[in-house]
Amino acid sequence: MRVRLLHASEAGTPSPQVAVTGQGRAARPSIGIGYRWSIDDWTRDNLGQFDVLEVTVDHCIYGGARQRAAIEDLVGRVRLTAHGVGLSIGTDVPPDLAYLDRVAEIVARLQAPAYSEHLAFTRVPGRDLANLLPLPRTTAVAKSIIAKVRTVQSRVPVPFLLENIANVFEWPDSALSEAEFLGLICGETGAGILLDVENLRVNAHNHGIDARAFLDALPAGSVKEVHVAGGVAWRGRGRDRPFLADSHSHPASAGALDLLEHALLRQTPAAIVLERDDRLDAVDEILGDVARIRARFAPPEMQVSRAAVA
Amino acid sequence: MPRLLERQTALLAYLTSPAAIFGNGRGRADARLAGVDRGRLHLEARFSHDKRMEKIRGVLPKTFALLGPRLGRVLRDFAAACPPTDIGRLHNARQFHDFLRRRWTRLSSRRPYLPDVAACELAMSEVRSFAEDEPAPPISTPSGSPGRIRRRPGVVLVRCRHDVRPVFEDSAARVARRQVFLAVAVPFGADRPAVAELAPPVFRLLAGLGAPHKRTALGGTAAAEALIDALTAEGLVELCP
Repeated sequence: MRVRLLHASEAGTPSPQVAVTGQGRAARPSIGIGYRWSIDDWTRDNLGQFDVLEVTVDHCIYGGARQRAAIEDLVGRVRLTAHGVGLSIGTDVPPDLAYLDRVAEIVARLQAPAYSEHLAFTRVPGRDLANLLPLPRTTAVAKSIIAKVRTVQSRVPVPFLLENIANVFEWPDSALSEAEFLGLICGETGAGILLDVENLRVNAHNHGIDARAFLDALPAGSVKEVHVAGGVAWRGRGRDRPFLADSHSHPASAGALDLLEHALLRQTPAAIVLERDDRLDAVDEILGDVARIRARFAPPEMQVSRAAVA
Repeated sequence: MPRLLERQTALLAYLTSPAAIFGNGRGRADARLAGVDRGRLHLEARFSHDKRMEKIRGVLPKTFALLGPRLGRVLRDFAAACPPTDIGRLHNARQFHDFLRRRWTRLSSRRPYLPDVAACELAMSEVRSFAEDEPAPPISTPSGSPGRIRRRPGVVLVRCRHDVRPVFEDSAARVARRQVFLAVAVPFGADRPAVAELAPPVFRLLAGLGAPHKRTALGGTAAAEALIDALTAEGLVELCP
């Protein structure tokens, strides 16, 4: 900070759009990353590496004018899909309609084929943890979420997708498995699933659930988009086993990609998006992950093998 | 079973409490959280707290560095006094600054100027954020034109009890105790905030110019006109149509 004295006396080539709903499913998924303002220049320099960029709608709502302009400048140059972190659909209050209307405007401006959010809550009136928290997985809670999903669908006129989260703890009255809970809500509303394979891997490790059984329990064709990320292991005091954290800070793990391969036996997502929120300067890692994902899940011959299992 | 919102409210109250963040899951928790693994809640609370503190540290790096060994205790007291109410980094940094302003002299007798350092860092971030959101168009209305003036949106006024320049200039000079009146703004044509020290009457004048005023209301003298021109050139005042 430099301080100057000022006293009174001194005053003198876009990728093809791919539908995410039932008809016209993607023959092979678009591969891309979550758009981050802090690496905007780098993203533009490497736009040819990505079929899709996932835009966080909250960055458009709460970010600066320059960030909004930069995002809108990408419309037509690359496929954009819309993701949210600010809805807190699980908070037991009516959805914020003004927020949803702003989301709808942004989705329209981005020409996004879908809008996704987390099946979670982050806040209650007067307190905001800014972290995704799980819901008790009961039919009563599912019913309240179903009503709110319908509200979202009535305000935002593109397919709505719900994402599975990485949860640190469980509610004791969770009677449904995560797959049953997601399946119930999505089945009733027609919402799709944004499958986060890293969240699934982390939950499998931390809670001892069977990740493949989770994937097998999801209705075939319900997964419309996929998130891939890499996190860290946390070794706290007195822990004999590390706790995995979904930190979006490191290269995607082989375990997460193996789960994605298993998921693709029954699912045909339109997009696979690499999420990175930390250590964004390690751009070689980002490009390396994208290349790995593309080589494994979107080579030209994929179209044939995927058609065979569909 | 209590309503879901009651359970969610109890959960967030617990997760943002020092008992959950620092207590390793020990201690009493709300009965509405019965059956939830306390160790896991401690982890959740700790992750969330650490994320929040990283946001604040990003805005107030010098303040955090100056807290030194007292950082742990200060963060614990802050968590107890100021639970998170908003996701934004500036909002959380402002909470921390306000907390230091209220409590610092009770927490430590050393570095009494720390709240002033936090105020300057916060002001710089607020100005940067404003400039990022609404780049100001250059204004080139000639001196003496009719019309009204106001403090330029995005200017932050800071009243300090110490001259904290040595902290920001990495100087070995001692921080002097004296009232300092500052205006932080991005000058026209510049791409980063600048800090100007103001004479107290100029500071008060700017503080009163939040809403548009007629130029002539400042007296209409040659000295007043010169002052308006100087403040305009510094990017602190703008001419309204």
